[in-house]
Parts: sequence; structure tokens; C-alpha cells
Amino acid sequence: MAIPEEYKLKCDFTIPERYKHHVLTNRKEPNIPACNVKTIPGDMTERGCAFAGSRGVVGGPIGDCIQIIHSPSGCAWYQWGTRRNLSDIYAWAGPNTLCNDSQNRRRAVTSDLLEKDVVFGGMEKLEKTCLEAWRLIPGAAGILIYTTCTSGLIGDDCPSVARRVEREIGKPVFVIDSPGFCGVSQSTGHHHFNVQFYDQVVEYREKHPEACMKEEEKGPYDITIIGEFNMDWDLAYIKPLFEKLGCRVVAVFTGGERLGNLLKIPDAKLNVLHCQRSCTYISDLIKEGFEVPYVNASFFGIEQTAKALREVAEFFGSEEMMEKAEQIIEYELEVISPAIDFYRERLTGKKVGMYVGGPRVWHWQRVMKELGMKVVFGMCTFAHEDDYEKINARAEDGVFLVDNPNEFEIEECLERFKPDLFLTGLKEKYLCRKLGVPTVNSHSYEKGPYACFRGMVNFARDIYEGVYAPVWKFARDKDFI
Amino acid sequence: MRKIGIYGKGGIGKSTTTQNMAAAMAVSFGKKVMIHGCDPKADATRMILGVMSQETVLDTLREFGKENVTVDKVVKLGFAGIRAVESGGPEPGVGCAGRGIITAIDLMEELGGYPDDLEFLFYDVLGDVVCGGFAMPMRQGKAQEIYIVTSGEMMAIYAANNISKGLLKYAKRSGIRLGGIICNSRNVDKERDLVEEFCDRIGTQMIYFVPRDNMVQKAEFNKKTVMEFDSDCKQAGEYKNLAQRIIENENFVIPKPIMKMDELEDLVMKYGII
Repeated sequence: MAIPEEYKLKCDFTIPERYKHHVLTNRKEPNIPACNVKTIPGDMTERGCAFAGSRGVVGGPIGDCIQIIHSPSGCAWYQWGTRRNLSDIYAWAGPNTLCNDSQNRRRAVTSDLLEKDVVFGGMEKLEKTCLEAWRLIPGAAGILIYTTCTSGLIGDDCPSVARRVEREIGKPVFVIDSPGFCGVSQSTGHHHFNVQFYDQVVEYREKHPEACMKEEEKGPYDITIIGEFNMDWDLAYIKPLFEKLGCRVVAVFTGGERLGNLLKIPDAKLNVLHCQRSCTYISDLIKEGFEVPYVNASFFGIEQTAKALREVAEFFGSEEMMEKAEQIIEYELEVISPAIDFYRERLTGKKVGMYVGGPRVWHWQRVMKELGMKVVFGMCTFAHEDDYEKINARAEDGVFLVDNPNEFEIEECLERFKPDLFLTGLKEKYLCRKLGVPTVNSHSYEKGPYACFRGMVNFARDIYEGVYAPVWKFARDKDFI
Repeated sequence: MRKIGIYGKGGIGKSTTTQNMAAAMAVSFGKKVMIHGCDPKADATRMILGVMSQETVLDTLREFGKENVTVDKVVKLGFAGIRAVESGGPEPGVGCAGRGIITAIDLMEELGGYPDDLEFLFYDVLGDVVCGGFAMPMRQGKAQEIYIVTSGEMMAIYAANNISKGLLKYAKRSGIRLGGIICNSRNVDKERDLVEEFCDRIGTQMIYFVPRDNMVQKAEFNKKTVMEFDSDCKQAGEYKNLAQRIIENENFVIPKPIMKMDELEDLVMKYGII
């Protein structure tokens, strides 16, 4: 259904095509905006490129690999220390020293393509880069090579380089071919990483059966967590819950994970899929290729985390596990209730706007409700139809949704809906400061983790601290918000 | 499935030879054949289909978007059940034809456009191997054998030598091999001797000497392969022999291209071309 006249944003007067990207939610008849389509000229989108999706989001969190960007050095800038996908790899432990040697966020490697490499081909340079990086970081478990616009365009045959380096170093070398130009947003990069990584894992397992999990190592309750990127140690809350339940988490795709464990993903009994935008692809592939089923789960908020635990227990069909799930939920609720009650009392009735990549806008609808807050508008950078279906199903009716918003739309929405809080990223933070709207960093968190029961307390605390920060009284005196 | 790349100097008759040979393979030997034209001009399947304007992969992609490209839209069935697909590409002077070839081949593989029961898949690639994109068919998992079309003319030999240099680079990486040189005769003096000696020097074989015959042009003018136009004529027999040689070929080598220009010139001088 087209957006009603009174909801049309004034700033889009000159680009009326944008109105197709605006809808109001409806639980009975979901309204899906135009989405996952290319950005219109004149619309200053905030989307990233496909390479940002493959390297920045899905591949980036892998902890023990050298990650090489086959590009001019500019593309490699953002691979270093930007997203807080934490991980711990203790390779060098000695008396009184225990050094976290994980590669992600710590080391950035690029082949630094220059004019002459573009003219004469960059494959030799890439090979040199791989071997040099390997000499510098000999403890790494393997190498991931990412192509970019430059290397994709000149047609460097990276897989052949990977095979030669693989022979040389005796560790897996995978290539993710997802040049920035190959899709409308970072979402294409997620897809490419999933498919290409899966293909190469399967190929590697065939060639190296020792990389698979041995039959005697397999447990009856082995699970993997797919689409969880260990933002600010989310896994520190997620993993223990499943371990208490009696499951063993074989691997996480890809938060803080080691490559060796990722090669064992198909050996698990069940995949628990958290980020259903970026990682449904690999879950489907594993289901098809190895007959390992997956369950959709959300680890945000009380109700959804409880549901995830119950569904996993139900999948295994063990009475004991189902009982255990109830015990865990009861215990955790007992622990967090006083804190949550405190925050709920102070946050009830507050209005909130959301602008995240995609899935969190639907993950957090319930969370906001649990804190007594009211979502007034939602925005997604790269969501697809299925994400909007989920938002429609979970949100109150009549929430204003914007697909792929630009800065003017964000500003106008803040002015129009006057939220008490804006859940958004760092890019928008300063705009919001100027408008006197508190924000909570929803991509990398303020002081996480935010996942599961206890993470919800952190989330509520950060929201509370944002909303009630004394500084706002100065802004609000000036008749705005 | 044997995947074969056909390279050679521009205008030497790669597409003509490929289509005539493919037709002979399909008609005389009952093989399942497919031709993938990798030339922005999109003229590598004209005689098989009897029309010039095949919908190309990249045109379809440009017009309808990647998600709307289907095998049915871009793969056409032509003479003797030969499948034909054209990559297409940008107009001369704009864009990047090399990237076009990468995109088109990737897309075809993604769509499963090369059927499993195929026996021969020909990549017909334009002119020289000028950039990484044009070498795409040489990568691992793509063509395993290459044939270079040449004549006894100096520049054609020179181009063949250059292509061998490119092939040498990929041979170590992807296991691709040179299957031989097809001499598409221009009726120049001592042509056969020159090409044979050139093949000898670079360590391969002249797999077939296709004599010049106006029948080829006549058939081409009628948008037909020789096999379809007049299957009893002498030239049809020649293409049949070429097809047979390729089907039976077991001589696959890593070429040893001539690295010095002087040496190449001496070779041509020897046969008094100048």
C-alpha cells in the first residue's frame, strides 16, 4: 500500500521515487517497501559496497586467519579496528604472559595495487603479499583473500594464486570474490561470502579428510551458531546458555571463530541461525549438502532468547533438555528481573526510532516492548522483503518504515517523530547530538554485550543512560524534543 | 566434457573455423556441442543460428537485471542441436569488455547454463589475450585445452606466438595445455612448411591444415556452416577431418614460445614470405 499523503517526507519532494521505499507497518497485510534495489542518483545513500559486506561483516570476525585485501591500500583502511567483532586466540602463552594474538581488528594486510600492477596484472604481487604475510605471522591458521573493484575489474586469477600459496604454506587459502561493484548494497557481499566460503570448505574437506570432525569426536548435541559475529562479546552470554542446556557449540559462523572450527560446521547436528539476513544462505547450503537442519533464532530480549532455548531443546526432543531450558529461563529471569524492572519503570512510554542494517530492526521490536518503549519509526540499510515481513509481523501497526534512508530523511524523521532515543550507528550520532536526540550505538554497542538475558540488562542500562543523560536538559530547553 | 578455448589473431577465421568444426562434430560424429562466443561483437554463433542478432548474456543483464537472466533467454539451439550463447559486451571504446567476459562466464556457470551431458564446449575468444578478462577461459575449471588458429602470414604467426606466451603463464597455474595449431590457409607461399616449423619450434603440432575454399565464404554469406550449406562438398570433408583430429587428439603440451623477435623474423624470412 502506498504511503499516505500526510506521511510523505518533505525532503523527498525532488526525488519522488523515494516514496516507494516508505511504508507503514501492518500486521494483517504486511506492507513491503521497495528494497534491495539500486540507489537512485541524487539520493545520498548510506549503504556500503559488496566488499564491505563480505570482508567487513561476515568474513572479518574470523580470528586466526590472515585476511588479505587484494586492492589499492585505500580499500584496506576500514578492515582495521573498525567493527568490534572481538575474538581471542592465545597463540603465545608464556610465564606471566598471555597474549591475545587474534588477527581481526589487529592486523591489516593489503597487496597495495598501484598503477603498474593494474596495467601488468596483480597476481604476482598478491602471491608475494601472501608469502610475506605468512612469514610475518607464521602462527595463522590460513589465509583469506578478498578481491575488490580493482582486482575484480582487471580479472586477476586469484584462485590460482591461492592454490599455489596453499601448496607452499600447507594451510587453507580461500578466495572471496566480491568486488564492490557487484551488488546494490553490502547484502550482496554477505551472499557471496556465504556461497564461496561454503564451496571452498566443502572442497577442502574432500581433499583433507583430517579437517573434518572424527566420528568419535561427534556428540549427540553438537550445534553451531550461524550469523553471530561476537559484537562486543555477545558470545560470552550466548555460548554458556547453550552449554548449560547440554549442547556443545562446535563453531560460530563467524564471530571470533577459528578457521579449523569453521571447517567442521557441517559435522554438527543443528545450526542455530541468528542473523537471518546475512547467513541464511550458508544455512540453506548446509541443509542441502549435509542434511543438517537449522532453526531461526533471535538472542535479543527475554521472550526471544527463551524461545530460542526452547526450540533448540525441542529439536533434540530430550525431556531432560526441555526441563533444563525452563530451569535456565527461570533462573536467568530471577537474576535480571530487578534490574529490568528498574529500567522498565523509567523507560516506559518513551518513543524510540531505529536505524540499523536490517535484521536488528525486527530483532529489537520485542525488546523495546519488553522495556515498555514504543517504536515510532524504523529504517534499514540493506534489508530484503523477508526482513520487512518480519518487521511488519513484530511491530505495532502504523510504524513508519524507510528503506535505505539518506541523511535528510533521517533528519526529517527525527524532527517529525521526536523520539526520546534513536538506536543507530556512529555515522548519525553527531547529527542526533545537534538535534538533541540521545543515541545508542546499535552496530557495535556502547558497553555490550547486548545478547541474551543478561545482555538485555546492559542494553537497558545504555538506553537509560542515554535517555536520562543530564546534558539533554540544556538541549530540551531550546524548544526542541 | 571437454572444454576447449579457441584463440588467434583478429580476423583469422576463429569463429568461422569453430562453427564449421562444431557443425561437423555434431553432424558426422553425433557429439553434443556448445559454443560460447566471448566477443563483444557477438558474431561467433551467427552461422549456427542462421541469424546475427542473438540476445547476449550481457545485454540481457543490462536490460533486465542480473536476477532476470535465465538460461532459456540466452542459450539458443541452432543447427544440428548445437547450443549457442553469446557473452556480448560494451560498444567499442567504452566500458570494459574483459570484465564482461568474466561476468558472463560466471553467470553462465551460476545458472547451470552448460548442461552436464555436453561433450564439447568451445569458448571462442576474440583476438589477442589482451587482459585478465580475456584469459578467463584459461582459468582452472574452465577450458583445459587451447587451439590457436593461424595462417602463414607473419602477423598471424606473431599473434600465435604471443598467445602461447599468455598460455605459458596460465599453464603452470591452471593446468591448461595447448592442443595444437589450426592452420586456416590464406594461400601464401610455403604456408604449410612455415606453420609446421613454427609448431615444431614451440613444441606443438599443426593439428590440421584447412585449405582455402570459396565455399566457406559462400556458406557464410548465407548464414550457414559449410556442413549445412552443402554437406557433400570437399570443404565439408576438410572440417570433418579437423573435427576428427580434435576428437582423437591426445597431444597436449605446455608451449615453448619463441621469446626473441629476431628468431621469429628469421623463421618467417626462411620461407621467403617477404
